[in-house]
Amino acid sequence: MKNFRREENVTEELISLYESRGFTRYKPGCFEEYALYQQNKDFLIGKNVITFSGLGGKLLAMRPDVTLSLIRHTEPNAVNAEKYYYVEKVYRQAAGSNEFKEINQTGVEIIGNIDKVCEVEISSLICDTLSAVSDGYILDISHMEFIEGLLECFGPYGGAMRDFLGRKDIHDFYALAERQSFDERLINCFVTAAEINGEAEKALKIAESIVLNDRMAKAVKELKDVCGYLEKAGYGSKININFSIANNADYYNGIIFNGYIEGVAHRVLSGGRYDKLLDKLGKRGGAIGFALYLGEIERYFVSGYPEIDYLVLYDDKTQEIALDKAFELKKSGSVRLARRVPEGICCKNIIDLTKEAAI
Amino acid sequence: MINVALPKGRLGEKVYALLASVGYQCEEYSPDSRKLIFSDKRGEVNYFWVKPTDVAVYVELGAADVGVCGKDILDEYEPDIYELADLKLGKCAMCVAAKRDWHDVSGAPLRVATKFPHTAEKFYAEIGRDIEIIKLNGSIELAPVLGISDVIVDIVETGTTLRENDLKVFQQISKISARLICNKSSYKFKYSQVCALREKLKGVLKDD
Repeated sequence: MKNFRREENVTEELISLYESRGFTRYKPGCFEEYALYQQNKDFLIGKNVITFSGLGGKLLAMRPDVTLSLIRHTEPNAVNAEKYYYVEKVYRQAAGSNEFKEINQTGVEIIGNIDKVCEVEISSLICDTLSAVSDGYILDISHMEFIEGLLECFGPYGGAMRDFLGRKDIHDFYALAERQSFDERLINCFVTAAEINGEAEKALKIAESIVLNDRMAKAVKELKDVCGYLEKAGYGSKININFSIANNADYYNGIIFNGYIEGVAHRVLSGGRYDKLLDKLGKRGGAIGFALYLGEIERYFVSGYPEIDYLVLYDDKTQEIALDKAFELKKSGSVRLARRVPEGICCKNIIDLTKEAAI
Repeated sequence: MINVALPKGRLGEKVYALLASVGYQCEEYSPDSRKLIFSDKRGEVNYFWVKPTDVAVYVELGAADVGVCGKDILDEYEPDIYELADLKLGKCAMCVAAKRDWHDVSGAPLRVATKFPHTAEKFYAEIGRDIEIIKLNGSIELAPVLGISDVIVDIVETGTTLRENDLKVFQQISKISARLICNKSSYKFKYSQVCALREKLKGVLKDD
């Protein structure tokens, strides 16, 4: 983790990164109609939403996510792609907690005509985003069409296979494969796919060798294109191909991402191509984006004591002198007035007006 | 350095002995010690003794990179982890049991006493049977005997406790054994260490 004093410093760096790439800031309201989240619950990270009745009787919700609002209020361009970023608070369960939390979330979305350029742009922006937080990051990349293409070969057992793949659970897969007498080639393909974990060029060669249908072949080609560019741009050592990423197939349809930072136990970033969400919301076009769960990693930031230049201590008799002193000292540095030395503060000079000699 | 969460008790001691036999031994280790953390002098491995039901929590939250946990706990709590190997230790089964003369009367919701409410709910939802859960923390076998439940969903190892309380197994829900689990982030940042530990452990299990 870089030596950030506070989460706000990371946010400032990210805002300047996104604006330097020509992304426009999106600022939604805090509330949204609950129906939007109810109808797309599986798109949300947590299924629980804080709801309340609006003055007109409509059921409203505290926003648990920004992407749904953005899609709802945007009309995708058929030729071009709109580019947005946001830095917002969302209200949902935090990872590892059983209560609602206000979480700072930063994200980027491209909506409209999504092509290879957009996919590469988002992938490299994810690397830059993670790098802004820490040099020790890994970006897991997968492809929904590769996963779905593989799972469709197992017919009615596709659901169980999805669980095995998500947990890299080969032993329980073997037990089921033996009971159901799966084809030997299919077994080998599944086991190889679940164990793929590593740098793109080598991993995608292995992935290519286990392609079973057109969906999987198309996915490998797309991944090769994107990862080839990332390699050229110098991000190669940070990229990891991993087909155990489990995003919801009802919403995601192409390349998908998970970002990890060394020392943080859970993923800090997720995203991908989600054309199917637009379709569900009655919009045409495609979309790709990601969210960085900044609020969930705030405890990992170095939180050094705030530092001030002058601490002026006063008592009942010296209040006016303290105000004059502070006014004078403000010209040469930061000043804090206090009756006694506060805890959790680092001060370079202490001027104690309660002692007569100091006056 | 790899951090390993072991379940307190016989299973944990057995797994430690296996890991020690393939190079992950700690001079500090003693089965009689009350210390909860012990490390080797070379700085390659750290062990934590934790309650068996908490192993998955320690691994999911990243305090431990890997851990050994029963499949029953993984099915019940569904932690966000990778499940890297079946250690084939602590074998038993998650079963539905009831009094020997019990017959299901499908008109009423089935009263199910269990320590594993999520597992029971999932099993009965799949077969479309309406149930009422009675959550207990121990002596589950007592519930049908005293008439507070129709059936129990619990772990059955030898079946002796069931027999002695005039109960029998009606259905097997799943087979249970100890699993090697891994934190998702550790799997990426400590990939070679995690894989080396898994392969060494699997090797010694084959020979066991």
